[in-house]
Amino acid sequence: MTSQEQAIKTLIPDLRDIPVDRLAELGSSALAHSIARYRERLKENGIPLSSFQARI
Amino acid sequence: MLTSHLLPEAAFSALAEGAGRPATIRLVRDAQLSKHLMLLHAIADAASTGDASAAGPAAFRAGYALLAELQATGAGGADWLLGLPHLGSWAHDCLIRLEQGSAADFAHFACLVAAAAVRGGVPFELDVPVRDGRVQLPGLGFARITDESSWVRLCCDGDRVTAGRHLDADRRDLVPDDGSGGPVPQWSGTPVIRAVAGGLAWQVLLETQDSYLDRYTLPMATSLSAEEIRRWRQCALAAWEVLVRTHRWAAEPLPDLVSVIVPLTPHCDTDLVSVTTPAAFGAIATSWPPDPVTMAETLVHESQHVKLGGLLDMVPLVTSGAEQVYAPWRPDPRPAGGLLQGVYAHLGIARFWNAQRRTETDPDDTLRAQVHFARWRSMIEPAAQTLLRTNCLTEAGVRFVDLLRAQGRRLEAEPLPGQAREIAAQVALDHRLTWQVRHLAIDQAGVASLAAAYRRGDPAGALARPGTWIEADTRKVQASVRSRLLTMRYLAPARYRELCADRTLTLSEADRLLVSGRAQAAVRAYCDEITGTGDPGPDAWIGLALALHQLPSPPLHPAFATDLALLVEVHGYLGGRTNPLDLASWFG
Repeated sequence: MTSQEQAIKTLIPDLRDIPVDRLAELGSSALAHSIARYRERLKENGIPLSSFQARI
Repeated sequence: MLTSHLLPEAAFSALAEGAGRPATIRLVRDAQLSKHLMLLHAIADAASTGDASAAGPAAFRAGYALLAELQATGAGGADWLLGLPHLGSWAHDCLIRLEQGSAADFAHFACLVAAAAVRGGVPFELDVPVRDGRVQLPGLGFARITDESSWVRLCCDGDRVTAGRHLDADRRDLVPDDGSGGPVPQWSGTPVIRAVAGGLAWQVLLETQDSYLDRYTLPMATSLSAEEIRRWRQCALAAWEVLVRTHRWAAEPLPDLVSVIVPLTPHCDTDLVSVTTPAAFGAIATSWPPDPVTMAETLVHESQHVKLGGLLDMVPLVTSGAEQVYAPWRPDPRPAGGLLQGVYAHLGIARFWNAQRRTETDPDDTLRAQVHFARWRSMIEPAAQTLLRTNCLTEAGVRFVDLLRAQGRRLEAEPLPGQAREIAAQVALDHRLTWQVRHLAIDQAGVASLAAAYRRGDPAGALARPGTWIEADTRKVQASVRSRLLTMRYLAPARYRELCADRTLTLSEADRLLVSGRAQAAVRAYCDEITGTGDPGPDAWIGLALALHQLPSPPLHPAFATDLALLVEVHGYLGGRTNPLDLASWFG
């Protein structure tokens, strides 16, 4: 396999085929880990609230 | 077994090179759908832990159940919803509020899911919040509610939609407004632009009402008149033609990158501000672009940010990067890590102007395109070097920047007329020197030591340079009329010619000589200004450097290019009467 044919495993779990009402069944798994990591990144990047929410 | 989204190396390389076919962009977009599901799951957790009877969480849970139904129908309604920037933007606000320990707006999710169900003709009944007399159906529009209710029951039987006694409409009429349909009682469709050119179609909403997309550095323009919407529509249609005709590489993936434009209210009419947030993949915001080519450039610029924002969610490219550095497109010091977004956007911009310069027929438009190209292509390599020097990149980030640099070098190899290169170099130098003088702080003991050595006649070569650090606005540099004029030379050549002939402009004699191209005389005038004034502003020093740069020979003295702030400080310490050129020669 050439390097261009290889694939990078990304940080985002593939949830497209999992119904939302089944997500909870994944429990404290890789999904919870991904969420925690994303929330951490959100804090690091300091994405601001929308102006609408910031006014509340 | 939970798997992750995979990104083929070839797709990663294509993205790093600034391109990306639609199939590649869809990989990024698909990951955003999963990201939104991930965020929804986190919000659902929070909605289930509070007061179970509270209206907001209850509305969220009902919406969540309806989303499960939409997924089960497999008709695409769920994917439409999960791809909406409105959803991402709201979800980020929820997460931030939960992180802060403050109340999240759970209820709005019911509006989002209701919009998807109305669009897909899926029957439902949901209690939805009424805000400012409106029920928002994000991505479609809003219904007006004529009493003081804060909630209303929204029902759809698959065909008709009712909102209490306020709305009773065919669900096929509750759509965005493309300007062709008649009015629907109590309904206001979000303006939509449908552009078709050269066999490519692009549909984009002009969002002026969704509060969660009012999240940019300037406020959303919430009160556009029908005439203003018509002008936006025309400008976007013309910009799409520009992109399809000349920049197909950018046009082809655009429908998957930009589905919403948020018009912004600028501080003044001449400001062009455009911006993107990673919280709303698929949305860009911009103030009114003055012409279709500028709008096309803005779309390329911001779609680069959208693309990279999506990739950064998938693959970490930056580890830290808090060190403050020079960004050639910004007046202020920026964290090194943030430079990646800028250099990536400017790779797209340079590529845009490289193609655009070949299609312009008016000499002024051609010059503008050539100078833009010359200026932005030359920024890629130094900015990439800064990223590498500051060690703020991950291993993947280094690979990404290496590929990006290769594209920059390819653009650098393109021949360009000398006039365009000269104007671009002058404007870039003005920008860099202004930044340096404004933000580079210098250890004063070191300045004193150098001044003493100069007085003694010691050679400067053996002396250590004083310590420096970045400190925002450490020196005051006036917003220079001269800088604006130099920029106008290519942005608005006709106006530039008019202003140069206008003797009433508030320019110093030295500035006047500089802008009229009389470099040698300008050098003498700046030197006189610097030595003849007790406390000359840094502007005169920057002008002197620009005038020296204009001379055919000798080239700009190295001290002016690298140590201008130090020259200013030592000169001031010496009392301000020393000849600036002698001092620069001493620095060697």
